[in-house]
Amino acid sequence: MTIGIGGAGSKIAAKLDKNAVLINVSEVEMNKVQGGGRRILARVTSEHGQFKGSMKSRQIGNDAYLAMSRELLEMIRGNSVFCSTGGGTGNGIVSGIMTDLSKMDNVPIAEKTFFGIVLPYAKLETNEFVTNTTEFLTGPLTEAIDSGNTGNIVLFSNKRKFEEEIGEDEYNTMLVESLREFLKIPEKNEKNKLLDGHIDQEDFSLFLSKSYFNHFTFFDYDPKEPFEKQLEANYNDLLLPPESPIEAMFLVEVPKGGDATAFYKIINYFDSIQVSPVYSVIENPELQKIRVTVALLYSRKPMELVDDFNKISEDHVHAKVQKSVEQYVKLNTLKVNLEDEAKKVARSRGDVDEDNILETLRRLGKL
Amino acid sequence: MPQVTEEELGKLFSEQVERLQEGHFLVLYWAALGEGKKVKYNITNLFDDLKAVGITRTKQTVVGIVQGLESLCFVDLREERNRKNIYITRFGAKALEMMVKQKRYTSRKSAFLEAQEK
Repeated sequence: MTIGIGGAGSKIAAKLDKNAVLINVSEVEMNKVQGGGRRILARVTSEHGQFKGSMKSRQIGNDAYLAMSRELLEMIRGNSVFCSTGGGTGNGIVSGIMTDLSKMDNVPIAEKTFFGIVLPYAKLETNEFVTNTTEFLTGPLTEAIDSGNTGNIVLFSNKRKFEEEIGEDEYNTMLVESLREFLKIPEKNEKNKLLDGHIDQEDFSLFLSKSYFNHFTFFDYDPKEPFEKQLEANYNDLLLPPESPIEAMFLVEVPKGGDATAFYKIINYFDSIQVSPVYSVIENPELQKIRVTVALLYSRKPMELVDDFNKISEDHVHAKVQKSVEQYVKLNTLKVNLEDEAKKVARSRGDVDEDNILETLRRLGKL
Repeated sequence: MPQVTEEELGKLFSEQVERLQEGHFLVLYWAALGEGKKVKYNITNLFDDLKAVGITRTKQTVVGIVQGLESLCFVDLREERNRKNIYITRFGAKALEMMVKQKRYTSRKSAFLEAQEK
């Protein structure tokens, strides 16, 4: 089952699966999404009645989650969830889901949830989107990944959409088509002649159940050129670029009569970076050239991205603070402890706080 | 089995600590800080931090640094919930104490541990 949460998540889920469950705080926004199956209006009320949207507020999304958490946690088991981190509904509800998943003891492999998350393009999207995303990446997402209780998490990026000025519907179709290409791996194994290795539905589900970020891509492969260079040149620009992979999966599709041993070079590349991939080689008579579909699982948190987001949101915040200061600010008298302040400066400069670290080690019984 | 005197063991320990580099120092320092704050510090966090302070850009180097410390019994690596967490040992604590007192390296901020404080 596919579940779309919030406006952006619902549009993608509905494109991917005609039976997708769509969830939104705003009835109006939900009704504008074409396709999909069951629709759930997440009820959040204020003193003025039901909210007509989340006002880009994570809190409202989170309140909506609290009202339906039991049903949702049941619904997402072993299924796929799509959302964006910019708006309030998707971010708030998925933050709630991830926080609750982090607290669970152990989620069985078959019940892990695959997450497709769309990140805003920090440079051109609104301050609220950037702030919401920063909070999401450093909070619930990090906790969830560290708990090992999610399945793969795919981080889609809106960068190309804004840079190439692509319409929303067209861009969503591109995201969905790209994801479909990756999801077709077990089906292609089933339908085509196998030349080496094998990836069946069980292997694929196991791969999807791993709690790492997944960067998938596909391209025509020339065995005469180094695989690493071709891979780097063909990273999927609809996703965030990957970090060093921990695990990998690849499918090589060879045209009829093509070189079925070309995959050894790919295996050797992964071996050089200490990764043992799951793979298969099939014959695809419809192709003229060898084609590779690769998925890289990496656990690196997107710190650089968060840093970028932080910088931008700080600039916005600074400007806002400056405006408030200029208008009206009452400054309270601060009591400063010089010793503490000196330690703070030393710490910010990076000096070793000798007493502190040795004291910590003594407290832990290690000295 | 050859006999090793306490004096020789002491010399060996000093020699081992002498050979540690800035990356090793930071692993011990951040692992100790993390444990003090009851925060689990894993190889992925370390990779992010070492990359951020410009010590290395590859995960292989990070793994090499940690494996070196593990071989010297200065850190323990524990597989916990899908992550390899790093714990400083009593020998590691001694080594860190020695380096801190010698003022060999300057500590650097761990973005991960800082984020946990917020």
